[in-house]
Amino acid sequence: MEQWAILSGIEGNLVAYEALLDDIRRQRDSVAELYVLGDVVGLKGDNRAVVQRLQSPRTGELEPQVCIGWWEEQCFNLYLLGGLPDAPELIAQEGADTAQHLFESVSRESVEWMRSLHFGFHELDCLLIHGSTVGYADELTPDMPAIQLCDRLIRADAKNLFCGRSGLAFECWIEPSDLCSTIVTLEGTQAPKEQGRSPRRVVGVGNVGRILGQATYTLYNPANNHITFKTVKYGKAKGFALQGSQSQHGHESPDIRASR
Amino acid sequence: MNNPSFIAVAGPSGSGKTTWIQQSFKDQTAPLFYFYPGLDTISVDLMRLGYGFPEVQVIPDQQAQQVLSSLPDGAVVYLELGFHLSLESPLLSALPCHQVAVVPPYLQESEWHEWADEIVLGNDIAMLDAVKQPELWHTPLQGQVFDPPSLEVVLVELTGGAYGKVHRLKGIFEMPDGQALYIDFVAGLEGIEYTELNIPRWLEGRPHRLSGIEVTGYNLEQKLIAQTLLDGSLADDMIASYQQQYKTLNPVEEEIAV
Amino acid sequence: MKLAVMSCIHGNYEALNAVLSDIDRHKTDQIYCLGDLVGYGPHPNAVVEMIRSLDIPTCQGCWDEDIVDGLNACDCSYPSQLAEKRGKQAHEWTDQVIHPEVREYLANLPITLQAENLAFVHGSPNSQHEYLLPSMDGFAALERVLSTGADVLFCGHTHVPYVRDLEGGKLSMRVHQPGQAETQKQSTVSLKRIINAGSVGEPRHGRPNATYVLYDTDSKQVTLREVPYDYQKTCLAIVEQGLPPIFAWRLARGMEFAERADDPNHVCQR
Ligand SMILES: [Zn+2]
Ligand SMILES: [Zn+2]
Repeated sequence: MEQWAILSGIEGNLVAYEALLDDIRRQRDSVAELYVLGDVVGLKGDNRAVVQRLQSPRTGELEPQVCIGWWEEQCFNLYLLGGLPDAPELIAQEGADTAQHLFESVSRESVEWMRSLHFGFHELDCLLIHGSTVGYADELTPDMPAIQLCDRLIRADAKNLFCGRSGLAFECWIEPSDLCSTIVTLEGTQAPKEQGRSPRRVVGVGNVGRILGQATYTLYNPANNHITFKTVKYGKAKGFALQGSQSQHGHESPDIRASR
Repeated sequence: MNNPSFIAVAGPSGSGKTTWIQQSFKDQTAPLFYFYPGLDTISVDLMRLGYGFPEVQVIPDQQAQQVLSSLPDGAVVYLELGFHLSLESPLLSALPCHQVAVVPPYLQESEWHEWADEIVLGNDIAMLDAVKQPELWHTPLQGQVFDPPSLEVVLVELTGGAYGKVHRLKGIFEMPDGQALYIDFVAGLEGIEYTELNIPRWLEGRPHRLSGIEVTGYNLEQKLIAQTLLDGSLADDMIASYQQQYKTLNPVEEEIAV
Repeated sequence: MKLAVMSCIHGNYEALNAVLSDIDRHKTDQIYCLGDLVGYGPHPNAVVEMIRSLDIPTCQGCWDEDIVDGLNACDCSYPSQLAEKRGKQAHEWTDQVIHPEVREYLANLPITLQAENLAFVHGSPNSQHEYLLPSMDGFAALERVLSTGADVLFCGHTHVPYVRDLEGGKLSMRVHQPGQAETQKQSTVSLKRIINAGSVGEPRHGRPNATYVLYDTDSKQVTLREVPYDYQKTCLAIVEQGLPPIFAWRLARGMEFAERADDPNHVCQR
């Protein structure tokens, strides 16, 4: 059975991304697609190296499908290719020094490459995107009001909405039902309509680079709709990597194992 | 030897003369000719004829004498008479025509009835003001590609009388997906008719083929109509991006070499 | 308390006067205005002065915002290239004629107004440019109301009035996070309402008459009002002021000058 590997937030952390690629290679069910939901650059390592790695996968590796994230938007702003020339969000959040650091850590060519990326991917009944269709900064979490997640799913026009902004790994099923809608216009009252939908799902795909030593990503099997969250532990020490894995529906798999 | 036959078709504007003629073309094997005296070569009817019936020879005004005197064996010539041509024209009396009048069904008596050998009941159109001759305004639109929602707005406004009283509107418009639309409106008939012309999609830049519009009516604000039409036509980069989009969504299936 | 709520006057002074007289006759306690005081119509300054002199609480419309910030509406908010060109013509004209203090007033209008369990916005709580059409998914519409914390959301911007009741909606939510037990929640939303005030000066319901709404906070009764006025006067003024005559032609037929975008929920990233 072929799966998709979906990840977000490398944030310049090449070591974490390499550890994750190793983990993907080890999957029994082969991985057919590799989606990177934005934030490939950030403050966690070598942005140039990560961009390079994504641009030219090695022989036999999957071609990553990358979309734009929050950090990429900040680069557009810094390189005056975006809508907010002074990157106010970035400066408010990280300070001016960090903005300067980010500016220096990417080349104009890589920013132009980022500019050519998609805002998201519609594949089968899935939308894969960094934030949501509302914007790259829209942070979906399981603590949000259900109605808001419901709205994002409606806007996504998909059964599964994969996103990465929050950095959290979660799966949230939403089922709206029993809503009675009545409309009155100048022409009179229209017959009430009952509205509801089959359950749909928001999936937070985790984050690769933010927490040093631990990368999380998501495996999705389109054939049976199963989600598996994977946590890859990695260390600088050579030949040592620790890996953990958890799968959906509360069946926590006990196979936390060290591999050599 | 088979003598050529001549069929003259007359009737009020919008009654369905062209439709009737094109209908008759369909089941003919004889060499076919079409002649609309006084009609410009940019006429929408001629363009449509060229796209729909490439085998029909259109006789240009200047060559009429010459072509009519050397018609091939068994040729059938259709003469369409516009409202600007009198039924008593010397041209008509010189030719042995079978005279067909296409008239609205409610019309019982008219100069067409007196003139015709055959009456065809056409569209149920409103009759034009008999006293005042309507204006005919037309313009070629070759190379222009239209933004479909803009075109729709213009047509609704035009036919709704925003730029003068329109009795008849015909046009061939190029669309960003490479298709060309034939558009037909007759005052008094329901709605505007859109027909896709059965010709290849033009997906390489501005189309190098005939298109245009022709409006009959009163007090037409010609400059404003032209300007509004142009406001809805696409710039080069937009045309290119639409065509690219169409090609991406509908890739041509390439033949697989064995 | 009896309220009158109006929106989208669009520089049509005749229509505003007719609506204000109609409101007078209904003896309301309070008037609210949902913005779009200017744009397309021939009397932007007079309309703003009237609203100001009557101290009518008003929120900022998409046109008011654009006149202040420069044309902000993205291309995508126009349904056609032609509509966009016309919108720009109207924008430029308005931009030239409005007085500095009028611009200043428009700049300081709030995006939303709130009074007890009522919220007032121009387009939607998300943006002055978002259309809340009656055809919008019920749960998406419900989200717009809930995001304000109010029970009744007044909006305009579509130029066609309507009332929509949303009742009994249930939402169940099941969350799974690695390392945590699965959680489930279910909630039912009580009756919420969207009231669209239509348009005073640029109606698009197919007739030239101005529209607005009356709302009784005690009985919760809504009345959609359609008020005839001398639209020919406005049409004449449009032509006299040098605005495109097609604006007058469309106004006389209850056709909006620029129709709404294909994707009404589209919120521009800019
Ligand atoms: Zn408005
Ligand atoms: Zn508006």
